[in-house]
Amino acid sequence: MMSSNKNEQTVAAAAGFDQPLLLTYTQDIKGFLLKHLGRIVLFVLTCTSVLAVFLIFLFVILEAFPFLNRFSIVEFLTSTAWYPSAHERPEFGVLALIVGSIYVTITALVFSVPIGILAAVFLSDMISFQVRGIVKSIIEILAAIPSVAYGFFAVLVLAPWLQKHFGFPTGTNALNASLLLSIMALPTIISVAEDSISATGRELREASYALGATRVETMFKVVIPAAHSGIIAAIVLGMMRAIGETMVVWMASGNASQVPHPWWDLSQSVRTMTATIAGDMGETEKGSDHYRALFAIGLLLLVMTFMLNLVSEYFLTRAKKSMGKS
Amino acid sequence: MKASGRVILDKVFTVITGLSVILLIIVLLVILGPMLWRGLSAVAFKGTVEFRKMQLAEFGQGDESAVHIETAKAETAQKTVYEMIDRFKNGVDFEKLADRAKDIYRDFGEELQRKGLPREEYTELRSLSRKIRNELTAAFSSRDIGEINEHIDFVLKYSSDSRFEGTVASQFFRMAKDYRDAAANIDLEKRDEYASELAELEEIIKGLFGPHPEEDSPALAQFRYGATRWDQAQNLLYRLRWKEKWVEQEPGQPLVKIAVSRAELFAGTELEGLFGFVEMNLGRMLLPRWTFYWRYFVDDSTPGHYFGGVGPEILGTLMLTLLSMIFVVPFGVISAAYLAECARDNLIIRIIRMCINTLAGVPSIVFGLFGLAFFVLFFLPLFGAPSKPCILAGSLTLAVLTLPVMIRSSEEAIRAVPQTYKEASLALGASSFRTFVTVTLPAALPGILTGVILSLSRVAGETAPILFTAGIAVGPVPKSIFQTTRTLSYGSWDMAVADKLAAQVPHNQYGMVVALVLLILCLNALAIILRSRVFKRLKGH
Amino acid sequence: MKRTLCYGLVLMAFVFSTQVIGAEKLHIEGSTTVGPIADGFAEVFKDVYPEVIITVNKSGSGTGAAALVDNRCDIATMSRFMKDKEFKDAITKGVFPVAHAVAMDGVCIVVHPSNPVSALTTEQVRNIYLGKIKNWNQVGGSSSPIVAISRDTASGTYDTFEGFIMKGQKMDSSIEYVSTNPQAFARVKNTRGAIGYVGFGFVQTGVKALTLDGIKPSKQTILSGKYPVSRPLFMFTNGYPELGSTAHKFVTFHLTEIGQEVVEDKGFVPVTNY
Repeated sequence: MMSSNKNEQTVAAAAGFDQPLLLTYTQDIKGFLLKHLGRIVLFVLTCTSVLAVFLIFLFVILEAFPFLNRFSIVEFLTSTAWYPSAHERPEFGVLALIVGSIYVTITALVFSVPIGILAAVFLSDMISFQVRGIVKSIIEILAAIPSVAYGFFAVLVLAPWLQKHFGFPTGTNALNASLLLSIMALPTIISVAEDSISATGRELREASYALGATRVETMFKVVIPAAHSGIIAAIVLGMMRAIGETMVVWMASGNASQVPHPWWDLSQSVRTMTATIAGDMGETEKGSDHYRALFAIGLLLLVMTFMLNLVSEYFLTRAKKSMGKS
Repeated sequence: MKASGRVILDKVFTVITGLSVILLIIVLLVILGPMLWRGLSAVAFKGTVEFRKMQLAEFGQGDESAVHIETAKAETAQKTVYEMIDRFKNGVDFEKLADRAKDIYRDFGEELQRKGLPREEYTELRSLSRKIRNELTAAFSSRDIGEINEHIDFVLKYSSDSRFEGTVASQFFRMAKDYRDAAANIDLEKRDEYASELAELEEIIKGLFGPHPEEDSPALAQFRYGATRWDQAQNLLYRLRWKEKWVEQEPGQPLVKIAVSRAELFAGTELEGLFGFVEMNLGRMLLPRWTFYWRYFVDDSTPGHYFGGVGPEILGTLMLTLLSMIFVVPFGVISAAYLAECARDNLIIRIIRMCINTLAGVPSIVFGLFGLAFFVLFFLPLFGAPSKPCILAGSLTLAVLTLPVMIRSSEEAIRAVPQTYKEASLALGASSFRTFVTVTLPAALPGILTGVILSLSRVAGETAPILFTAGIAVGPVPKSIFQTTRTLSYGSWDMAVADKLAAQVPHNQYGMVVALVLLILCLNALAIILRSRVFKRLKGH
Repeated sequence: MKRTLCYGLVLMAFVFSTQVIGAEKLHIEGSTTVGPIADGFAEVFKDVYPEVIITVNKSGSGTGAAALVDNRCDIATMSRFMKDKEFKDAITKGVFPVAHAVAMDGVCIVVHPSNPVSALTTEQVRNIYLGKIKNWNQVGGSSSPIVAISRDTASGTYDTFEGFIMKGQKMDSSIEYVSTNPQAFARVKNTRGAIGYVGFGFVQTGVKALTLDGIKPSKQTILSGKYPVSRPLFMFTNGYPELGSTAHKFVTFHLTEIGQEVVEDKGFVPVTNY
């Protein structure tokens, strides 16, 4: 008996079973420290994204602040006269630019939201799983095309075509930019809308069909209202994409810093905030008023997209909550 | 609503939704199709002997002896054309004669300097030869036969002057005599017309065949060769045969373009037959052949992208994107790991997620501004580097731009790893860190790789952030990360709107955009394939 | 496999971080009008002095001046003379700008070749750009709206145009802006009702240059200064460059035969008739 105990003991000692399985932190300081220090290090690294956002805001504000200090913000936001390099009295009114951005974005949404929602419905409800994969891949390809290629198309192909077939005096106008922005916003809208429409679940649809509704009625009266938060989030995300787009509008919108005269006249040139920054930055000297005014426009853009982001977040959480409930 | 009405509405709706997707596909084809077609013509086209000459001389590519044989063959065929033109010119092209007079004057001046004459004699001879030159030039540009003879007589007075004998200046007198004979024979009125038409004609011939074999090679590369592509040659041939003029049809109305046959303009002279001759024999003069210019993706380009390829641009894009990947992958994967594994749903984590989403929504031009303000003007000088745009600043900006994409796709990949893997590992006694590193991460690796490839493709296509942080349109191939670089995206923008010569070489314009689009499409296709395989492996096993 | 990948990455990092040692660099920045001349000179220099790395950046005369003042470039190409403020900035920073006029250029008003209008007065052009004249039939053309195109504001071409024609008045807000000469050329070429202004070197088939105040822009009228909107094109250096240095050769290249040929090939008027 003695020997078997001893055997057990040596076996136990060799296998390290002389210690309890779960060690407290005083018994395994190294493991404890490593684990928690490791977590802290990981946490800090994860916070780089917070740091990045903070730095972006900080540096844009830093560069824009002297300008905002010297010039009246009200005049900045409400005057349409953008003459930053005039010799005697440079004027920095960005209203025409803000209107240009919003005009082009909203027109783009007018084109892309109906098509986007219809396509999302098609993807989620009307085709089989395999075909869905193929179509989703095509939409991803549409999303992957670089904006320079779209701008290329806009300037070299679409602008002459618009001039020839619609008789516009100029082919680089708000319509050109809107069409292209709608193509660029479509993949975002389709994928987010499709996700939320699919997430409404089968029960809702089956209940509706059981009551004798056709597919179109189910879609419009049951599913889309149920997924409305997600769809609104999709639209807002598409809007963010369109407002933030630079190269395409720079090449395709004509860059006339005006508010279009009859407001519905899409054939006039407009200028967006993004195109102004991209176009003017290369030629301004660092530290001049013009340079800081461009940073002020950048700050404006940042604030606008940040608020749109908050709105879309709100709707996305609402969508998730309503999905969670049902 | 009646039942049948509802059914019809339903079917119409189905069709409309299908149409919207078909519209998308059509839009994709309309945008990509012509671009790819025209861009691919930069790589596969009918190249002429000029192309092969250019490749040999500028890039050192091609078989030297074969090119020389071809050049000789082409030149023999072209000789007839040059002879016809020269014969016509001798009576008409006063500008060339005036240039020759200037050359003789200059050469004579150099000869006098070499002779080392005393100062006064040198000045006297020089001013005399200048007077002779001016008289000759006046004779060449005059249209009145009386005036011409006056000038020529003045010049020929000095033909017996011993100081000019045996020197270059004696050519003056030969020119004067030839000219007097020629001027007696041609119609001086039409000479001006012929002169300007001839100048245009010679431009086009120069565009087709390159500079005249006896002329000096021009300084700029784009003028040293004729039409390098058969389609270019065909365009020039059309311009050769037909002159386009804008004529007024009604006063005050827009002018209308009409085409006038150039052969008619030269009716009655020697050159009338030139046009038909060139058209029939262009093949023998240019020796076109199907060429597959795969080196387009490797070669550098001559200034203005007139000849050559997009090699440096591809290299620049690769350098920028790979460097930014090096910066972003560690941060992205580690953040994703933390968010997927250790995060609880408290306020801090929600703030982090909100920041990631904010970062994803910032417009790319604002990233450019941030890159300029922070990386170029603040960060780089901290480390002693010059505060200039460079690849390092550009790739850091792009890394920040693509951080959310990386975090999102990595997190998705890590979450997609089935719980069973993790639980099995923990059950075997591994710590959670070890589990993560040896089990979860390798299983999530294909998904993370997909994310990396998607980020790469996004970064390769971005132009706005590198506009002021790393990109330039013309510059040398970078040898360090502290230099700026050309990239495919910036180059495409430059070729589309900024470059002067680009419009003359549309195949290069489209070629660069297509190179970019193809690069991105290949990366995306790779990501899609990878993802479907991962999906199958993790769910369908 | 993983290890080789790691080593590969480390190697690439090394390769990417090596600095260029010892090669002479010449950085030129500035006007998009003068840029092609600098490009042409750089191209010839590449064959003759291959060990010098010449980079040309075209972003506007204003940027060129600022770059020279900040010592970020060796030569600034500008299609206008330096302004007072730029000179003062330079002097305070210890930079003494020296101008070299390398070519002559004229700012030509161009329209689509189908436009029946072929001559305008300065007054008419000013009114077009002020938005007072909006239709071609008001200046003798057919009835179609005028699409006026202007260059972006740091361009020297814009400055010259503004100085001679706009006489300091601000352009109307409906004017379209393009950022480079080739873009202005492309817009006018593709738009029937367009009017724009480009440098003389950009007047090629596809647009028609107008006679301004009765004087047609050509080599002779620009060189003699008769054409009202003619201007010299400059390269500015910090002080006079050291004789025999590459910068010196670059800024005096326009005096050689090959340099003149390059200037003419690029469509400008050489300063002398060598």
